[in-house]
Amino acid sequence: MILNNKNFLFGMTVALFLSSGCGQDPEKQVASTLKPPLQQEVRVAPPAPQPQRVKVTENTRETYQWYCTQCHGIEGKGNGINAKLLTVPPRNHTKADYLETRTDEQLFEAIKFGGLSVGRAPCMPAWEHTLDESTIHSLVQYIRELCQCEAL
Amino acid sequence: MTQKTLALFCLSGFLFFCPLPIEAGVLEDKNCGSCHRLSIEDTENTFTGPDLHYAGNKFQPEWLKRFLNQPRVIRPAGFITDPGVLQEKPLPPHPSFPEDAANTLADSLMGLKISGETLEPVTPEPLSKGQRAKIKYQFERTFGCISCHQSLNLAGKVRGGVSGPSLVNAGNRLQANWMANWLKAPQIYLSKGRMPRYKMGSATQNQFARFLMSLKKENIK
Repeated sequence: MILNNKNFLFGMTVALFLSSGCGQDPEKQVASTLKPPLQQEVRVAPPAPQPQRVKVTENTRETYQWYCTQCHGIEGKGNGINAKLLTVPPRNHTKADYLETRTDEQLFEAIKFGGLSVGRAPCMPAWEHTLDESTIHSLVQYIRELCQCEAL
Repeated sequence: MTQKTLALFCLSGFLFFCPLPIEAGVLEDKNCGSCHRLSIEDTENTFTGPDLHYAGNKFQPEWLKRFLNQPRVIRPAGFITDPGVLQEKPLPPHPSFPEDAANTLADSLMGLKISGETLEPVTPEPLSKGQRAKIKYQFERTFGCISCHQSLNLAGKVRGGVSGPSLVNAGNRLQANWMANWLKAPQIYLSKGRMPRYKMGSATQNQFARFLMSLKKENIK
């Protein structure tokens, strides 16, 4: 009986502990669901670009010369007319050591959605409303041609 | 009707229709057309100076007058349709004109307008403190405008790239409506620019124009 009583008391303590825990937790849960979501949580992830091997054409080179050279330079060496004036220097597209650490998809996203979208500098704007996807894919291949490198 | 009245009538008619040729003539006399596109009929891909066929939509007349009298470099890299652009070649200096001639030229340039204004006119009121902070941030961080346009950075210092025209004095140089229209539909003015296109919505375009109107060289500390 004493043992039973002890068991009973133990059981009650556990039950009380659990019930008190349950009583507090739902409130906490409610509170946590009401908490405004973090900005990163609401950000809609851009659709994952499909890896594509679009051929580099004359149009690709012209597009690069027309837009990209302003910062990345006529030969893609990262020494365009704006280069020295930017807070973060533009990427040198003829150097493999960084570019081989990036996948084609990452390069595609950087061009399409801008530097910030891939955790790089905001100096690189988004070209999504200027260039179509196929041109951006071909620019990625052109960068691969310039750096003579592939993603590792 | 006497012959005299008839002659006067003809003359007034002639004068009434005359202003356009006279204006074009002033610009022609100074050979502006050798570097600048002055008419929509000129092909746009060879000019070494900024397109002026919509000068009346774009510039503030007082600024034009001052510029023609005391020219300043607005585009250190040259104009984007110039085949030599971005090659860091020294630009030929813009001719400067005596005040009278500068005023006449500016008046003629202000007569060069195109239709195609697509926005409600931009309200001239300055932005609220909060709106200004937002646009200032977007200018540098969201849209990266400062990479190509010299302007004021978030710390209020004159910084930025030079492949696009300087915006340091945009508030004295450009019309607010033109800036908002350029952001909305640049192809009205230039079939293919080198600036990325943005879909930022009319309200933001409007606020950008009002923000740029506040960039004046006399406001730089």
